[in-house]
Amino acid sequence: MSENPPIIYLNNAATTWPKPPEVLEAARQSLALPVFGSGRTTGSQGEDYITLAREALAGLLSADPPEHVVFTQNATDSLNILIQGFLAANGDGCHVLTTALDHNSVLRPLHELERQGRIRLTVLPFEDGSVRPDAVEAAITPDTRLMVTAHGSNVLGSVQDVAGIGEVLHDRGVYFIVDGAQTAGHIPVDLGDLPVDAYVFTGHKGLFGIPGTGGFYLRNPDSIAPVRYGGTGTDSFSLYQPREMPERFETGTHNYPGLAALAAGVNYIASIGVNAIAEKAERQTAFLIRELKEEPNVTVYNESPTLPIVSFNIRGLENDDVGFILARVYGIVARTGLHCAPLVHRAIDGGRGSVRLSLSRFTTDEECRIAAQAIKEIARNADSSVGSP
Amino acid sequence: MRILRSVRHKSCADGTFMKEFLLSAPVPAGLFSYLENFGEVESLPNLGEGFYKFEKPDWFSIKGLAGDTTVEVRFKKEVMDLTVNFLYLLFSSYREGSVDLPVLKQREEAVGKRVREHLYGRD
Repeated sequence: MSENPPIIYLNNAATTWPKPPEVLEAARQSLALPVFGSGRTTGSQGEDYITLAREALAGLLSADPPEHVVFTQNATDSLNILIQGFLAANGDGCHVLTTALDHNSVLRPLHELERQGRIRLTVLPFEDGSVRPDAVEAAITPDTRLMVTAHGSNVLGSVQDVAGIGEVLHDRGVYFIVDGAQTAGHIPVDLGDLPVDAYVFTGHKGLFGIPGTGGFYLRNPDSIAPVRYGGTGTDSFSLYQPREMPERFETGTHNYPGLAALAAGVNYIASIGVNAIAEKAERQTAFLIRELKEEPNVTVYNESPTLPIVSFNIRGLENDDVGFILARVYGIVARTGLHCAPLVHRAIDGGRGSVRLSLSRFTTDEECRIAAQAIKEIARNADSSVGSP
Repeated sequence: MRILRSVRHKSCADGTFMKEFLLSAPVPAGLFSYLENFGEVESLPNLGEGFYKFEKPDWFSIKGLAGDTTVEVRFKKEVMDLTVNFLYLLFSSYREGSVDLPVLKQREEAVGKRVREHLYGRD
């Protein structure tokens, strides 16, 4: 063991690292000059980072028109705005669907609304990493108005059939919000084709932006009422929030360095191609799973994930201890515990949690090989864990 | 050996409160043999210089690697105020070869009584 082994970063489902050099440069450049945000300055020498980011995102996700791409602080912020805004526009008292695959960014806002008596909530169980459209259809009642669910699971790496689910929901007049925190930038997403009403993204994961950026695409702006009000730099004589997009939802000063970085991150992805990114990730993920499955002490929770996410446990060791050893002995950064998705873990590991490896475009084959070797070494030693030092 | 300061902390999903402590010297494997006087120790001696984990149910657990200058401690939150001083005492009392165990065991018994009363009521 070396004193300071180099970091092998396999926690990209939380936040990607490293960032492409152009992302860091864009953030730096955006701070090198004063902000030239439209409507907020007489200066005009700088880049319009907000429009650049909006158009880049709209291009990557086939989201039309670009003005319907709204920027927020992160995916959780987006989900809160959309869920609260849906009730503000449509009234309380409806039935809402979500799934046990979902992250607390969906589960907590919905459970809080249920606790307040403002909605009736059904959490659908999953099978083989997703909820089938026919299970969704069976759960719809006459008062079902909304479904909110993850596109990709941050624990299992599975991707849900949002096209199939969306069709079922729209046939029954149910509004559909999709949390794309784990899919944007990792797999092709065509919002011109997918039957979703709103699609949420975050900047700091697969899109290679920096923390503090996220947003959503909203097909019909009138379907969601704004729940935040304030300065937009436009129509300032009016004492009410503008109806126009994106000002309807974007209030206050933007995160300019964050959006400059996000635009650069999205452009980086576009220059490589999402398909190429997905193919490399699929090959590396399959390698890791193949290696881990060789160890009888290792349980892999989804052996065929679509996303570059591998969740596992080692028999005889707490997941937290495995993460500790990976980090301290091998310099491998993973994530352990519940990953903010308690219901997934209740279903797959009795709520104990797991170790999660998650890859990015920058993960090398050699890093995957070292990680697999390290996990196998820990697993082989796990049998000797009980006893005196 | 002394605890110098806490360098990281978080509330854990299992209801414990984790603190990572920086120590005045690297952890010797012998530390965990000494800790075995006060709880259970598990080890994976072949990983790095050895991974060790000390468990004292209802009090705290300590995990670390021999040779590291930090350890991770998970306190049972409800009685952390009662047990944290004993943790500091465990480290400051440790010297290879000469530890006054009877004094420490006396202190452990006194703190243990208060922990039991707090968690389960009076005996």
